[in-house]
Amino acid sequence: MERFETRDVARIVVFAAIMAVLGLPGAVTLFGGAVPITLQSMGAMLAGAVLGPWRGATSIIVFLVLTFAGLPLLSGGRGGAGVFVGPSAGYLAGWVLGAFVVGVIVRFRGRPPVWWRTALGCLVGGMAVVYAIGVPVQAAVTHLPLGKTVLSALVFVPGDLLKVVFATIVTMALWRAYPRAFELK
Amino acid sequence: MISLYRPGTSLLHRMPAGPKLVVVAGLATAISLLPANPLLLAAVLVAVAGCYLLAGTGIAEAGRQLWRLRWVLLVVSLSQVFFLPVLAVAANVIRVGAVVLVANLITLTTRTDRLIDALERALRPLRKLGVNSDRVALMLSMTITTIPVIAGFAARIREAQRARGVTVSPFAAVVPLLVMALKHADDLADALVARGAD
Amino acid sequence: MSDHVIGFEHVSVRFARHTALRDVSVRLEQRRIAVIGSNGSGKSTFARTLNGLIVASEGEIRVHGIDPAREPKQVRQRVGFIFSNPDTQIIMPTVAEDVAFSLRRRGLPRAEIRDRVTAALNDFGLAAEADSPVHELSSGQKQLLALCAVLIGEPGLVVADEPTAYLDAANSRRIAGFLLDRMPQQLVLITHDLRLAARCDIALRFEGGRLSDQGEPGPVIARYEEDQEQP
Ligand SMILES: Nc1ncnc2c1ncn2[C@@H]1O[C@H](COP(=O)(O)OP(=O)(O)O)[C@@H](O)[C@H]1O
Ligand SMILES: [Mg+2]
Repeated sequence: MERFETRDVARIVVFAAIMAVLGLPGAVTLFGGAVPITLQSMGAMLAGAVLGPWRGATSIIVFLVLTFAGLPLLSGGRGGAGVFVGPSAGYLAGWVLGAFVVGVIVRFRGRPPVWWRTALGCLVGGMAVVYAIGVPVQAAVTHLPLGKTVLSALVFVPGDLLKVVFATIVTMALWRAYPRAFELK
Repeated sequence: MISLYRPGTSLLHRMPAGPKLVVVAGLATAISLLPANPLLLAAVLVAVAGCYLLAGTGIAEAGRQLWRLRWVLLVVSLSQVFFLPVLAVAANVIRVGAVVLVANLITLTTRTDRLIDALERALRPLRKLGVNSDRVALMLSMTITTIPVIAGFAARIREAQRARGVTVSPFAAVVPLLVMALKHADDLADALVARGAD
Repeated sequence: MSDHVIGFEHVSVRFARHTALRDVSVRLEQRRIAVIGSNGSGKSTFARTLNGLIVASEGEIRVHGIDPAREPKQVRQRVGFIFSNPDTQIIMPTVAEDVAFSLRRRGLPRAEIRDRVTAALNDFGLAAEADSPVHELSSGQKQLLALCAVLIGEPGLVVADEPTAYLDAANSRRIAGFLLDRMPQQLVLITHDLRLAARCDIALRFEGGRLSDQGEPGPVIARYEEDQEQP
């Protein structure tokens, strides 16, 4: 029992670190990124799919707390309290609930991942949930009416759809390569 | 890991992290609720500049922050200019910039470990709800330790792929990176148990 | 006296598809105990049963009078463990913090923790690195840090599982010198470096999960090398 708890701590920590590393190499950003398109939002999907809802969401929280505390961990070396009041604040918060929902769908009742549930989970949790929180917050921060903010957020849909595909491929490949990673309890 | 903190001895540096967070959060909220009145917005800009002087980092630091925000602000204006009058767009851009700059005062004047300590203290009363503040602090510290290790894995994978002449796509690297990282997690768990951390 | 005695009685460790230790019985009182054997022979499994990281499927283990299966917390206070890869055993971000980590839960006042950590870092020649991030250390320094963090907890037994595997010759000498000659604690040293094994007081050899040979290191090593040379 206690071994499992320790192992959970270690996996949460390692996934938070993976999030940070995904932000390191020449982050792929659209428009230099008011709301950057990076591998990190894919990291949030992977966290939920691999670790399940609770641990996945916790690892994103750990990553975001360190970012808030002043480490430049977001892609492009961004970090600090400012990003949590800027236009992308809601998307960051969305990663937490998003990872949770990805975990609930992909690991439905603690089951191993299958490709269609993984794709569905990443689409709903990694995209729909993230937008559902991110867009209204962006509208509030930038004082642009919600409907128009939705229109401006459409630019990011193709890139995010691509990431859903990649996250699904990566999750299923990891499942074949290292099933032990997916153990829940 | 290089923090965004700037060492100093200003009033803001000396202020305890908890109260500082509350004050800055209040300021940021006030700014974002301000009406689009040119005079008020000009006053906000002066106030933000004053805060940076107070933090001892100088106006130049505020300039650097703004420069890093240039794309954010540009995209905000581009996404609004078709929908809103120019004055409203300018007001919104100024508000976003001012709020981010004010919030970053926390980061510039508070050491990362102080903020983590403050968080740990804030979480302590939640123990009854099952939040273990010790464990949260441990996870935050361990993550700081682990980031360079995982970054090292990523570098090793890139080198190995280059040596084998495989084109280095970020996605070809993700699966081996995850495998190495999750194996590392199991070793780390053993070390935690062996060192009596459970 | 059960003080410095390690006792195994008919110990087996089975995993899902594999038996890693088979019916191991041994009583060890020497200070320096070498463990040798081919890859996959069960050495690490043996080491891990000593601090309860792996629990025996069968048989009885006593480490300095403690049963690791029943009292895992006590045995981990008594037994310090050094892994091969220094990166996996360093937990905190800076050198001093990581050493201090071993003293948390001891209920010591902050000032005393600081003094003890400073003294220990001096001992290991790491004082200048006290506030450095651990990832800036060399592998040799990292392994010294791991050793420092284990010894500050004042264990009665140190188990080191191939502690020099990741190190160059000079750093291996440093770590081995510390473990074999400077440290007063009892030592179980798993190693492929037969010269280090030769400096111990007794050698155990594992093959296929069995304790296949034991005794004076010289002859045990000689027989091991002979077997290895056979085609
Ligand atoms: N957690 C485990 N699950 C399954 N098999 C294991 C586990 N740990 C070790 N083994 C197996 O037990 C055998 C002995 O391993 P180990 O003690 O690590 O050997 P050594 O350290 O001598 O190389 C190996 O065949 C290994 O694959
Ligand atoms: Mg081994």
